[in-house]
Amino acid sequence: MSSSSAGGSQVRPAYWVAAVLVVTGAVLASNPLPFRSPVSDAVPVPASATDTTPVRRPKLEPSYQVAVYTYRCSDCHAIIAQRNPETYRAATQHREIQLEHGINTSCFNCHHPSNRDVFVGDGGVEIPWNQPQLLCAKCHGPVYRDWQHGSHGRTNGHWDTSRGTQTRRRCIECHDPHRPPFPGLPPAPAPHTLRVGVPAHSGHAASHNPLRLESVNRDLPPASAAP
Amino acid sequence: MSDPHAQRPEDKSAVPSDQTTWTRRRFLSRSVVALAGMSAVAGAMSPLRHLDPQDLPSLDEFLQKHYKEMTPQDKEQVFARITQSVQTRFGVDATVSDPPPLEDVEFVYGLNLSRCIGCRRCVHACVEENNQSRAPEIQYIRVLEMEKGSINVESSEHHYDPPLVPNPDKYYMPVQCHQCAKPPCVKVCPVEATWQEPDGITVIDYDWCIGCRYCEAACPYWARRFNFAEPQIPSEELNPEVGYLSNRPRNKGVMEKCTFCLHRVRQGRLPACLEVCPTGSRKFGNVRDPASEVAYILRHKRVYVLKEDVGTVPRFFYYFDERGSRYREPMVEKSGAQEGTG
Repeated sequence: MSSSSAGGSQVRPAYWVAAVLVVTGAVLASNPLPFRSPVSDAVPVPASATDTTPVRRPKLEPSYQVAVYTYRCSDCHAIIAQRNPETYRAATQHREIQLEHGINTSCFNCHHPSNRDVFVGDGGVEIPWNQPQLLCAKCHGPVYRDWQHGSHGRTNGHWDTSRGTQTRRRCIECHDPHRPPFPGLPPAPAPHTLRVGVPAHSGHAASHNPLRLESVNRDLPPASAAP
Repeated sequence: MSDPHAQRPEDKSAVPSDQTTWTRRRFLSRSVVALAGMSAVAGAMSPLRHLDPQDLPSLDEFLQKHYKEMTPQDKEQVFARITQSVQTRFGVDATVSDPPPLEDVEFVYGLNLSRCIGCRRCVHACVEENNQSRAPEIQYIRVLEMEKGSINVESSEHHYDPPLVPNPDKYYMPVQCHQCAKPPCVKVCPVEATWQEPDGITVIDYDWCIGCRYCEAACPYWARRFNFAEPQIPSEELNPEVGYLSNRPRNKGVMEKCTFCLHRVRQGRLPACLEVCPTGSRKFGNVRDPASEVAYILRHKRVYVLKEDVGTVPRFFYYFDERGSRYREPMVEKSGAQEGTG
């Protein structure tokens, strides 16, 4: 090696270096591999996902709507004779109410048998319509206790009540009194962060593309077409 | 060994003659090489032509001090500059706030695992409130779908996407920054760009962060996020009420994290994730106030701290109700189930 380089070619300029540099420069300037961001478009988020209103908008007054007319409950119930105080089934009116409240299967466990504009408390006490938590507390004592202290139920507004108002949501703003379990909701869009990979154990891996490296409108076929 | 030594005299005699005589051939060949070299350098630098001068920091930005070292006058200037940059980037008139920590306040979060249904409303309310990037997607809250009877986060799933939640066979555990009392993320930061405020909130000076991501690696809850790319936020979705330490728009290359909505909670409001929670699973307040919701929870509820063994002393507490929540009862297939059993 040393003998050959020392022999004939030591002074000859390496012209191929110049050629390589020129070609390299030309290739780089032509930008043959343009940067393509792996980030695809934002996932649309439905407005319901950021809606802060309670899931239910109960009427907190004893009114009943028929067509365009609004009645108080007593408007009808005063003229309808009370036949069976243990009734549990709506015969002609209130057919939309399906009572699925566990072992609580009678209307008059909650509604007052003689004054339909109020609820009924223990021993026939009248509970005003806008205080439903007092009614629920008849059976759901521990939950009512937690609600009073704020560990159960929704709170909105300010945590510091000296700086603003605070709204404690009442029972029926989340729970349907005739069907109390909290309703299932459609989940908001799942995460698509770059950091996470496809969960190996899940069956829907083929239809799910968390990285969103290729969205459907780009050159690769959508991942859902794979299986 | 003796060969090179013997050639030295020959080399020495040849070199001076090369350096002194500039022939035309020699000049041209050297010029070609030099030109090629320069063109190669120019080619290598050519991506710089895509650089937008707007992206370069101004001298003021470059010389900006650490948040803790700023005087009120400095802050005024910096906030004016942030307002200006938000105007340039998004065309939105933002108001920059910097509420100080409140006296005798320590913020604590409670989350009722018996009630959370995994609907992810909190995730998106947080994104909307705190101006996280929509693409690439940055979210502070991760809702884990957990196996019932297990607290193993390794077997959890956060890409669940059924038509309706909750799945009666699972429970859901949202994870976000736990605002630890002994935050490992603060400990590892080499430039002190992140620190714990007196009210317990760990914050970041986004202008001081160098993007080394040590904090992301140190966090046992994966609560910190990195802006790998320029954050993209639609102008109409930008929250114009921005806080210097919380939700002002970030730049590419910096870390960000949940701050319990610092700009809201220091003004007495509740965090955005709590406001949107349809189930009321989320609880927030001042733990030093014995009448607060969170104080009641800590005293009376069964409280669970995620990864207690790592010694981070979180200010984020999961708790349970006495009974399991009612959603575990099948709601939709009730009639079908009765037929099956009867």
